[in-house]
Amino acid sequence: MNMRVLLIEDDKELRATLRDALQVEGYAVQTAASLCESRALLQHDQAPDLVLLDLGLPDGDGEQLLAELRRSKGTPVLVISARHQDGSKVRLLDAGADDYLVKPFSIGELLARMRVALRHRGTLLKPAITRYERDGLEVDLAAHKVVLNGGEQHLTPTEFKLLARLVRSAGQVVTHRALLADVWGPEFTEHTQYLRLYMGQLRAKLEADPADPQRLLTEPGVGYRLVEGH
Amino acid sequence: MELLKPLPGKHRWPALLVWALGWLAMFALDGRVDLANLSMLLVMSAALASLWQPVPASMLSSLLAVMAFNWCFVPPRGSFAVDLRSHALLLGSMLLLSWISSILLARLRWQALVAQRHAAQAEALRRLADRLRDAAQPAEQAPLLVEALQPLSAGPVQLLCLLDQLPARNDDAAALLLGAPDADAHDGLWACLRAGQAFGPGTGRYEELPAWYLPMRGRQASHGAVRIALPGTVDTGQREQAQALSDLMGQALERRVAERSTQRAHDEAEGQATRNALLAAISHDYRTPLATILGAASALQEQGDKLSAAQRRRLVETVMDETRSLSRFTDNTLQLARLDAPGVQLKLDWESAEELVGAVLRRVRQRRALEAEDGPKLRARLEPELPLLRCDALLLTQLLENLVDNALKYAGSSGIEILVRRERVEHPQGRPASGPPPEGAKETWGGPAFPCDQLVLAVRDRGPGVPPAWRQRIFEVFQRGQELDRQRPDAAPARGAGVGLAACRAIARAHGGEMRYRARSHGGSSFECWLPVAEQPT
Repeated sequence: MNMRVLLIEDDKELRATLRDALQVEGYAVQTAASLCESRALLQHDQAPDLVLLDLGLPDGDGEQLLAELRRSKGTPVLVISARHQDGSKVRLLDAGADDYLVKPFSIGELLARMRVALRHRGTLLKPAITRYERDGLEVDLAAHKVVLNGGEQHLTPTEFKLLARLVRSAGQVVTHRALLADVWGPEFTEHTQYLRLYMGQLRAKLEADPADPQRLLTEPGVGYRLVEGH
Repeated sequence: MELLKPLPGKHRWPALLVWALGWLAMFALDGRVDLANLSMLLVMSAALASLWQPVPASMLSSLLAVMAFNWCFVPPRGSFAVDLRSHALLLGSMLLLSWISSILLARLRWQALVAQRHAAQAEALRRLADRLRDAAQPAEQAPLLVEALQPLSAGPVQLLCLLDQLPARNDDAAALLLGAPDADAHDGLWACLRAGQAFGPGTGRYEELPAWYLPMRGRQASHGAVRIALPGTVDTGQREQAQALSDLMGQALERRVAERSTQRAHDEAEGQATRNALLAAISHDYRTPLATILGAASALQEQGDKLSAAQRRRLVETVMDETRSLSRFTDNTLQLARLDAPGVQLKLDWESAEELVGAVLRRVRQRRALEAEDGPKLRARLEPELPLLRCDALLLTQLLENLVDNALKYAGSSGIEILVRRERVEHPQGRPASGPPPEGAKETWGGPAFPCDQLVLAVRDRGPGVPPAWRQRIFEVFQRGQELDRQRPDAAPARGAGVGLAACRAIARAHGGEMRYRARSHGGSSFECWLPVAEQPT
């Protein structure tokens, strides 16, 4: 049973290139060139396991489609954006898209993002991730414990909440707004300075070189990403 | 006949006094001098009295005086009868003389008055012209005109002047209105402006109006209009003076419109030049990497079977490298064009320098195999306790990436370092920390007059450095170190540096900062972005 991917991209060449690359990796790929077409596919066909959604389609930027997909089954959605300076990318991530890629991107990046998204798929149904381990960092959310290179790390309650939120989405980007809302509360979504401060503290405790982080990665203008656990 | 009017503001007391003194003298001298000499006193009194009297009054008073003289002094006294011919001649010539002198004096007086009025009007015009020249904006100029016109108007002066070109419809947003005109006056002002002609009594148009509507005429067109309520006594000189004053304003407004359109044309030409340079650079800088990509791809397509696996891999790597650099070049070009546009909006947020630097290091490493043994070393050093930056994270990372890319390109084998430190600037050379510079201050700006903190993001290398001749121009758009190209280890021309550094400068300036180049004391370059530190959030 192959994973089914719906690729929504209006550029013919890129669509063909991505389709071939994904088929080589063993995905069953359906393609659509517009939102209308993809809606038709979603209605008549079996639901895909993952959707790749290009922004800037001729008939809108896919926010409605995203809402429908999230409501019905929690299908993971990866947003493909044409520009860094694209506000709608962050808006879609805030609205529940799983991750994003900025053109031009390499196939390797795409496949890695897809793997993470599929692993997180249906977090609504599956028990949430409570353990994280990577390169000497172990986080056990249930036991409220953080161990770095064998020694236990003491985090403040806010630092732990922040790390926990990133652990639950390990490997995926979490937007500033989502972090602020989940850790501090929905009324704090504009207080980016808190986030900068506490992320700095976390890096100081968990990174060998805070100025060159290997675990807690920054996605400028979007949010943060904890590298995927093993 | 102006001569027949009474003199404004003159009373008759002096004339009466002169007559009284004259008669006193005549009665006093009566009998001591002969009649001919006595009559001289009367003629003199008539001449003096006419200084203060309008012509008809002085002629009448002279007539009465001669008759009284006849009654009092000419024998037979106590009657109007004249016995001698000589006496009749005397009385006749007395009357004629006093009439002539009163007319002459009145004319003299009148000419003096006209000259005075002309001088006053000329002075008013000169003063308004001077004051209009000193005021730059219509909002400052219009009150000056109102002030100058007020003495000529019975009510408040109302005024409308265009701020720029004449709009297609009467749009108050395009004009400045003073004196709160009612609906009639408002429409009248617009009509007068559009017609470019005066309305009101004496103008030949709408004679029945209770006010004058005068256009502010420039050389080519009218730029506004004024409404002057009719003064109690109207003469043509007043309207002409009001028109002359209004025209001064019209010319001032016209000068401003002309200056602005010249400025616009200049800006447009400059923008066009920038765009042309941009397009030239794009076409030039695109061609080479595209040729490389096409070459490598076609080699893979046509000779794929004959090539060794290593050769094929090298070709594919070439395609990927070139494509990435094209992509960066495109980003920089777009950014330049975007930041060059007026009214650009940055997505400002509180950012940590540590995070921005970390993101840049990671992205550069992903692109290049920097961790390879013989690869250049790239590291970051940050002062502890740095303040947060108020900036657009994507733009700042782009700036740092450009600088790191350049360092790798021109100083590839030396250690490259990103250094972030805080500087207290006592005599800042940078812009005021309040965002972008004012319009028109593209090249010259004075820094804030107070000491302020700056954050310096520097990318330093130990490469060959920039030759002194280039240091002034290194951040100009589309300058590229041709000499530098020759100094590169592999001697291949480096591309895109010009657009990259120009984009850096545009980004720094958009944040109220500046880019600087510093030659390091033991060789190498330091490209520094100086940014003002905003007041920290709580």
